[in-house]
Amino acid sequence: MTKLAVIRSSPNVVDGSRATTDLVLEADVCIVGTGAGGAVTAATLAQAGLSVLMLEEGGYYTHADFTMREKDTEPRLYQEGMSRTTGDGAIAILQGRAVGGTTVVNWTTCFRTPEDVVDHWKKKHAVGGFAYADLVPHYEAIEQRLAIAKVSVDSLNANNRTLYDGCTKLGWGVETLRRNVHACLQTGFCHLGCPVNAKRSMLVTMIPDAIDAGAKLVFRARADRFEVAAGSVKGLRGILLDTEGRKPTGRSFTVKAKRFVVSGGAINSPALLLRSGIDGGGLVGTRTFIHPVVGSSAIYDEPIEASRGAPQSAASHHFAHRGDEVGFFLEAVPWYPALMAATSPGFGRAHEAAFVQAPHAALHIAITIDGFHDDVPGGRVTLRDSGAPIVDYPIVPKLWSAFRFGQKRLAEMQFASGAKTVRTLHEVPVVMEGKVDEAAIDAARWESGSVPVSTAHQMGGCRMGDDPKSSVVRSEDLRCHGLTNLHVVDGSVFPTSLGVNPQESIYGLARMAATRIAAAK
Amino acid sequence: MRTSRRSFLRTGLLGGALLAFGGLGLSFYPSKEMGVPTAPLLVLEPRAFQVLVAVASRVVTAKGADPIAIAQGVDRALSYALPETQKGLNDLLGLFENALPGLLFDGHVKPFTRLSAESQDAVLESWRTSRITVRRIGYQALRKLCLAAYYMEESSWGPLAYEPPRGLNAMAYDDSQVGTPEWVRANSVPSAPSAPSNEEAP
Repeated sequence: MTKLAVIRSSPNVVDGSRATTDLVLEADVCIVGTGAGGAVTAATLAQAGLSVLMLEEGGYYTHADFTMREKDTEPRLYQEGMSRTTGDGAIAILQGRAVGGTTVVNWTTCFRTPEDVVDHWKKKHAVGGFAYADLVPHYEAIEQRLAIAKVSVDSLNANNRTLYDGCTKLGWGVETLRRNVHACLQTGFCHLGCPVNAKRSMLVTMIPDAIDAGAKLVFRARADRFEVAAGSVKGLRGILLDTEGRKPTGRSFTVKAKRFVVSGGAINSPALLLRSGIDGGGLVGTRTFIHPVVGSSAIYDEPIEASRGAPQSAASHHFAHRGDEVGFFLEAVPWYPALMAATSPGFGRAHEAAFVQAPHAALHIAITIDGFHDDVPGGRVTLRDSGAPIVDYPIVPKLWSAFRFGQKRLAEMQFASGAKTVRTLHEVPVVMEGKVDEAAIDAARWESGSVPVSTAHQMGGCRMGDDPKSSVVRSEDLRCHGLTNLHVVDGSVFPTSLGVNPQESIYGLARMAATRIAAAK
Repeated sequence: MRTSRRSFLRTGLLGGALLAFGGLGLSFYPSKEMGVPTAPLLVLEPRAFQVLVAVASRVVTAKGADPIAIAQGVDRALSYALPETQKGLNDLLGLFENALPGLLFDGHVKPFTRLSAESQDAVLESWRTSRITVRRIGYQALRKLCLAAYYMEESSWGPLAYEPPRGLNAMAYDDSQVGTPEWVRANSVPSAPSAPSNEEAP
């Protein structure tokens, strides 16, 4: 039996869907959520000798379940069966839901939080609990554990190579990416769970580390609300879900712990606080940032086969800083048939005619950097009648303007790398042959439902800072203002978006916060 | 110009009410039976299923596409969605079928399932390019669900030259120790030889 299989079958791992009684649980620290924030916190605290209980709403899937088929995996590994959108249905939200969270399905891109972003937080959002230098040793430890390394230009697949070459020809800054993989076989299926455990997700690193150190894990357990009294959390109540996570089993659980950590991500964490009556003076759920994405498809003479190879391995931040305008960065997107069929515009014969060009199609995206401009206020997480979260995200004029500019730069880069035809993803696409048609891009319908906008990076909603009037958690150890034993450790604490893919920012901050929590035990 | 603007505004206001009460007109004009589900429905109401089969037959026209199988696939996918989303889709399909808004917006008096293929395409087209955001987003939801359900099936991949491997899972590493002090001690370099190099990009 392999090491990972031994851990998976450990008595410390409990499948909540199979519980025949209500569960009564106790620990020093209870952590809700096992993604980038929760798993790192769990491992750090368990290794420090604390008794740790991890709760996870999703299933405990392993490499054996990752069949490289969307049908088997997308409904199981993503929030709301991959149907999560903003409340108006306009923005598709890609977010993981499993033991390991989004790290199980992300595309392995690793960036430390840019130093200027940490400085911006200090100056504009009163984040005084740490400086960039305080994060560095934690990044280094994570980088070693997750085997994070920069890839070579030679290893880029054609989808990423076109991005790299196009930017290079235009003189735009571009780099190969650092990935959390070890001995990657370049299967290209990061998005559906790594079938060979090459991806160093939380599933094969921090969660086994935590369990090795004595932590317990209950999965298919959905946290409902905290009981709060006299300035502290007294307990947590929740329900258990069936094997597929679709319906409650009728069983429930309660947790008593000295300390609680919320690590459900930028949508579920604010929702749990709001259900518990913790609204941070009206701040919880506000300033939600999503790095809104627009895309561009390009047809090349040579095959691109964007489904093969590391999905994301090059990026350009050339347009990240645009002064009063919203900046963006450029990356590539892998190709999976159902995901891309839904992304490709039109219906019937028109859809079919464009879609069969897929083997020669590259897909690149502009990821806009929200949260740094006063007139880009972000979105808001509130509760549905059922208690489930709903996200409203207004696409303000400044974002539409950035989308248009980004669309033009994407096309420019694609033509520079040899694309013959470039198509926007508008429902009535702008089709360009040989060169960018800026007037046609400007004339396209830039409105919800006419051009697809999506997000794979959710941030904010429980922002950190040192002033309780303008933040939900203090920056020093991510503890909620006004509560002695409740912390939020995930992407929801960022006061702005990051301008880079978020996973390593969450790892580093979580390890720093958990180290400080352990020292104060 | 003035007239058309006023009539658009009026339609817009009425449209809001119809979107909210879209189900009312359904009882007056029955849907056409498009096919029988091959498995018990998990989410879709029987009438909504029939409408979705009709939608799928126009959205996915690839050779060999089976609209009943597509609608069944959508039903399965939706079983993982929130109850609110499930209800929303049943409502949307009711609205799509409804003859009353059809008459108002698109000039047809029959339910969607009873229209000719050409007229069904015209309805889809009018939702696709509508000035009303809810209609465009509703169209997108139906279109994406049908296309995703169809292209999730291996039988659709032939024309796309898409052949994901099978059985790679058997080659999975048991290297849960990668990156730990024990692993670092046992390996003289921080990355195994087959891992990507650390070489800086030019």
